[in-house]
Amino acid sequence: MECPSKSAESSELLIAYVEGSLDRIAERAFERHLDTCQRCREMAASQRELWAALDSWAPVQISPDFDQRLYRRLAEDRIPQPWWQRLLSADWTWRPAMPLAAACIALIAGFMLREPGPGPVQTVVIQPHGPQIEQVESALQDLEMLNQMGLPSSQGNTAREKM
Amino acid sequence: MDHGTGIVFDAQPSWNVRVNEDRAGVALDRDAVLMLRVRDGDEASFGLLLQRHRGPLFHFLCRMVQNQAVAEELAQEVFLRVFRSRSSYEPTAKFTTWLFRIATHLALNSLRDGKKERLQDSLDEETSDGTGRQLADRGRSIEQEMLYQARLREVREAINGLPAKQRAAVLMHKYDEMEYSQIARVLHCSESAVKSLLFRAYESLRFALAHMARNQEA
Repeated sequence: MECPSKSAESSELLIAYVEGSLDRIAERAFERHLDTCQRCREMAASQRELWAALDSWAPVQISPDFDQRLYRRLAEDRIPQPWWQRLLSADWTWRPAMPLAAACIALIAGFMLREPGPGPVQTVVIQPHGPQIEQVESALQDLEMLNQMGLPSSQGNTAREKM
Repeated sequence: MDHGTGIVFDAQPSWNVRVNEDRAGVALDRDAVLMLRVRDGDEASFGLLLQRHRGPLFHFLCRMVQNQAVAEELAQEVFLRVFRSRSSYEPTAKFTTWLFRIATHLALNSLRDGKKERLQDSLDEETSDGTGRQLADRGRSIEQEMLYQARLREVREAINGLPAKQRAAVLMHKYDEMEYSQIARVLHCSESAVKSLLFRAYESLRFALAHMARNQEA
């Protein structure tokens, strides 16, 4: 038998001996070891004293209204809470997936809210109405020519009307 | 009994449940059967579980945090969590393993979060909530009583001086008579780790309380 004073594994024997949970054969074997091992005898004696000291720590009585308070809280649990209260009261910290999910949401939101870069410049090409400009130009030329020839202004008016 | 909440909890259920011993590969203990009934909507079974476990659970928490008010609050939270998670309950381990796992988790968090405040509270509370005086034996003389209270205080301080995990292991082993394998499942560690925890814890306690034995001999 390995000496129980030397390792955690074998100290189980000593603890079990003191608490009286060894079967008869193991108990006898351990007592034979105790006859030859001074250190184990001392340990067994001090473990026995410790056991007695721990036994003296009897429990306190629970409050008589413990159940009542618990049932009240259980009943309150059944009243549906608004979503924001549920969110606030939820115990987020113990769920390992929560920080990961939060990081994913932040990442996606970051991508979505990122400022758009300079896109392709759209040039607006104004297509002038070709025939109209030509008409104006020819009318102006006519007017100029008539002026030079000294024709009456009624002709000029007609030309202006054309415009 | 209706506790003013409209929920009736103390109806005695009949024991005609077919126990599926193949479920999760383990025979279901009585508590697991009750919990399965709670899962199926039988709230009276929750009342039975509460009756069976509120005492040991509270005493464990009380010794862990050494503050009666905090221990009661934590015990309430444990039972609330049990009830809230009833729909997802699967009897993969003993019910008490699950119960003490929740309790230990909460107690360790509580110790971590409020260590400093509680240290002061625990010293003050001895006279305020009676934690330190609950054991008064009416047959003792005043002198014996004082001696006894001093001894008790030393035991509490010695336990309080242990690292939280060692403390939990000792309390489950000594007062709840749990086996190493169950303590290991509660603490999420191996059996040999539990043996190591207990070996170190008892060694520290023997050392811390050695003078008590010497005083008694003297």
